[in-house]
Amino acid sequence: MSETREITLTVNGTEQTIDVEPRKLLVHAIREDLDMTGTHIGCDTGNCGACTVLVDGEPLKSCLMFAVQADGSAVETVEGMEDHPDAVDDLHPLQEGFHEEHGLQCGYCTPGMIMSGKALLEDNPDPSEAEIREAISGNLCRCTGYQNIVKSIEYAADKLADGERDDAEAVAADGGVAADDGPAEFDGYDVDGDGEFSCGAENCCGGPSTDATHRGGDER
Amino acid sequence: MKSAPFEHHQPTSVGEAVSLLESLDGPTVLSGGQSLVPMLRFRLANPDVVVDINGIEELDYLHEDDGYLKIGALARHADVEHSDLIAEKYGSFADAAPLVADPQIRNRGTVVGSVAQADPKGDWGSLLIAHGGEVVAHGPDGERVIPADEFFLLPYDTSLDEDELITEVRIPVPSEREGSAYHKLKRKTGDYAMAGVGVCLRFDDDGVVESAGIGMTAVDITNARASDAEDHLEGERPSPDLFEEAGELAAEQSHPESDEHGDAAYKERMVDVLTQRALGDAAERAGVVRRTVNP
Ligand SMILES: Cc1cc2nc3c(=O)[nH]c(=O)nc-3n(C[C@H](O)[C@H](O)[C@H](O)COP(=O)(O)OP(=O)(O)OC[C@H]3O[C@@H](n4cnc5c(N)ncnc54)[C@H](O)[C@@H]3O)c2cc1C
Ligand code: FES
Ligand code: FES
Repeated sequence: MSETREITLTVNGTEQTIDVEPRKLLVHAIREDLDMTGTHIGCDTGNCGACTVLVDGEPLKSCLMFAVQADGSAVETVEGMEDHPDAVDDLHPLQEGFHEEHGLQCGYCTPGMIMSGKALLEDNPDPSEAEIREAISGNLCRCTGYQNIVKSIEYAADKLADGERDDAEAVAADGGVAADDGPAEFDGYDVDGDGEFSCGAENCCGGPSTDATHRGGDER
Repeated sequence: MKSAPFEHHQPTSVGEAVSLLESLDGPTVLSGGQSLVPMLRFRLANPDVVVDINGIEELDYLHEDDGYLKIGALARHADVEHSDLIAEKYGSFADAAPLVADPQIRNRGTVVGSVAQADPKGDWGSLLIAHGGEVVAHGPDGERVIPADEFFLLPYDTSLDEDELITEVRIPVPSEREGSAYHKLKRKTGDYAMAGVGVCLRFDDDGVVESAGIGMTAVDITNARASDAEDHLEGERPSPDLFEEAGELAAEQSHPESDEHGDAAYKERMVDVLTQRALGDAAERAGVVRRTVNP
């Protein structure tokens, strides 16, 4: 064991001081020294994104960074989501989205997905489906097929936008008209051509993606 | 697996970093760490000393200066991806940036680190070759400028000395009638290239190709120049036939290896196709041709 160094991280708003060896990865410092096991280790090679955290607001893979390199930084992990100012009833709209839209099965990828989703929505509160898919392209999920993860992030974007609208209305007047968020009537497949496929089941997966986005230079 | 123990140094200036590299025994530079951290963890690299350059603010730049686009050692892939200057004037860099790895890795990994890594599958090396770029290194004897063609020697091996720090890579600012493009074939979003081709074309006032640069990714032991195709293009007027011939010449000069993602013959064919597409984009961006249908 080599010499340790004292570092200070502001983790989910709370300052934490720990002693670490220079070779300790940020993900291990978070899980082992800070006892926050919400941040997962999936692949150990930088491929899967399960270890994604925000460092000074940017999503990074915490298995590709040493803890000493984060000294003095603000680190956000999934544990901070429930205490976030946008959270209602103990859940952040992103967490609520994954719950409501069945955005997880085993849940292994979920903390990373949520952190990538958070970074996206902070940057771009009204993302398109393609932008959501791009933002989570460094996060692998072996279970869901991604459709419901995309929907979960869309849910959060809508919810956060509603919240802002409500706030604005509350300031402007005393009340405001609640949006009609009741369950939509079953209307089968994509009859209105808006690109939204629904089989009608409450838990519809969204069907196969027909969204053939093609960007210059990318022959995937 | 954990890295072997190492001493971690965090210089805050180029001068300090260079004197550390000179005085320490067997030092390794740590930049974005997106290639080096896994290598340390799997003990493919076992340095006793790591010189972490992330605190050297003077290396964090991406700008035009003195006739060059200069990319400082701390410019991240994401800085290129989100730069207005790149979007406006540097077609090939704008094409390549969003195709390097994934958002998290682009936030941390650097263009210079990728060039220093000299992975034949790295994207940026091909663009340095296509644009006639240079690597600027600082060592105990001061500054050294290494042309891209003399930089890449073998997979993961360059002409950089152990006590040298790359401070920037640079390419000439494009002339009026110049266009560039990068095309990359990969299995899925976020992957390394199965094959990639970067192209830079400069035309004279009559629309004749004055100079052509073509760099190839993942189809040789290093990022490689398609010099036969370049020679064939120079002095000619752009046409689909000309680009087809250039594509074939590039494919002939490539040496891909068969692997689980495709056999060598398939990858050669892809070099041909990607070269034609990149040439078409570059000529269109230079303003000398207008394509009515996609290739
Ligand atoms: C999952 C995954 C997918 C990836 N996909 C791609 C891809 O599609 N295309 C692609 O091009 N790359 C890809 N990469 C690699 C990524 O782009 C790295 O960021 C890059 O190769 C290295 O840059 P870095 O700044 O992270 O360098 P580091 O990892 O810090 O360093 C890499 C090497 O360069 C040396 N070095 C770094 N900076 C300097 C310097 N200034 N002077 C001297 N030596 C230096 C280091 O000593 C080390 O040997 C991928 C990586 C991962 C983990
Ligand atoms: S554990 Fe970090 S990317 Fe997989
Ligand atoms: S829910 Fe199992 S990996 Fe994503």
